[in-house]
Amino acid sequence: MKHLLLRLEPVIWLLFGAGLSVGTILLTGFVLVVGLGIPMGIVSADALAYPRAHMLASNFIGRVLLLALIALPLWKGAHHLRSLSMDFGGESRDGAVGGLLYLIAAIGSVAGILAVIRL
Amino acid sequence: MAGAAHPEAMAPRKKGSTRTAPPQTPTTWWSAPRIRTYLLFGATGGVYLLMGFLVLRLAWALGKGPQEWNAALSSLSNPLYIGFHALVLVSLIFVGLRAFGKMMPKMQPRGGPLPVLPAATVRGVIYGAWAVVTLFMVLVLSGVIF
Repeated sequence: MKHLLLRLEPVIWLLFGAGLSVGTILLTGFVLVVGLGIPMGIVSADALAYPRAHMLASNFIGRVLLLALIALPLWKGAHHLRSLSMDFGGESRDGAVGGLLYLIAAIGSVAGILAVIRL
Repeated sequence: MAGAAHPEAMAPRKKGSTRTAPPQTPTTWWSAPRIRTYLLFGATGGVYLLMGFLVLRLAWALGKGPQEWNAALSSLSNPLYIGFHALVLVSLIFVGLRAFGKMMPKMQPRGGPLPVLPAATVRGVIYGAWAVVTLFMVLVLSGVIF
């Protein structure tokens, strides 16, 4: 497993870097409106009523942005949790922990692709 | 009064390679402020991972239809979700300030064809892009434009 992770490292770092930078930039506005603004009544829920939300998300750009909002944070999260595990003495179990975390991120990313395709 | 100790008094009987103590991590390594900040930066990974799955849940509900979408959106009013999203916002700002403000200005390729820009310029460009994209997302998602 450790050997496989080393071979995949360029791809993992690319996704991690994108999650750290693009993910952070995209998520901020999303969290401000969807996570805080609408639930706290600061923004009207009509802004994301089903027809409008579907219209925004189902075009090509909307699908790409939505997939980025799903997949990139998953890879940033998985890689950072792996490095945190290693910091706390998890060098010997790194193959298993890293493999599991990247598997979770990969499954979430595939589910994200399916979710945006079926919009 | 005792005489001066012989300089070889503590030498091993046989000559060999110099033995050094193996490096040991102090037990309080995590408590240094610099390391705590570094560990918190890593711990934001958990928040990001959960947030990715939360957006996945919303996208899945949107694909299922209006009822599921409305249920998913209204479930976000739960105080636990609001608290989690406040934590996500704090994590995003923390990651942004650390990555965009401190790390990326130092990560410019040196020795290549592109000039190395002053840190303040890089910081300004990235913060500017972050602010513009965030404003655009807020305006679109809150129904002000489109």
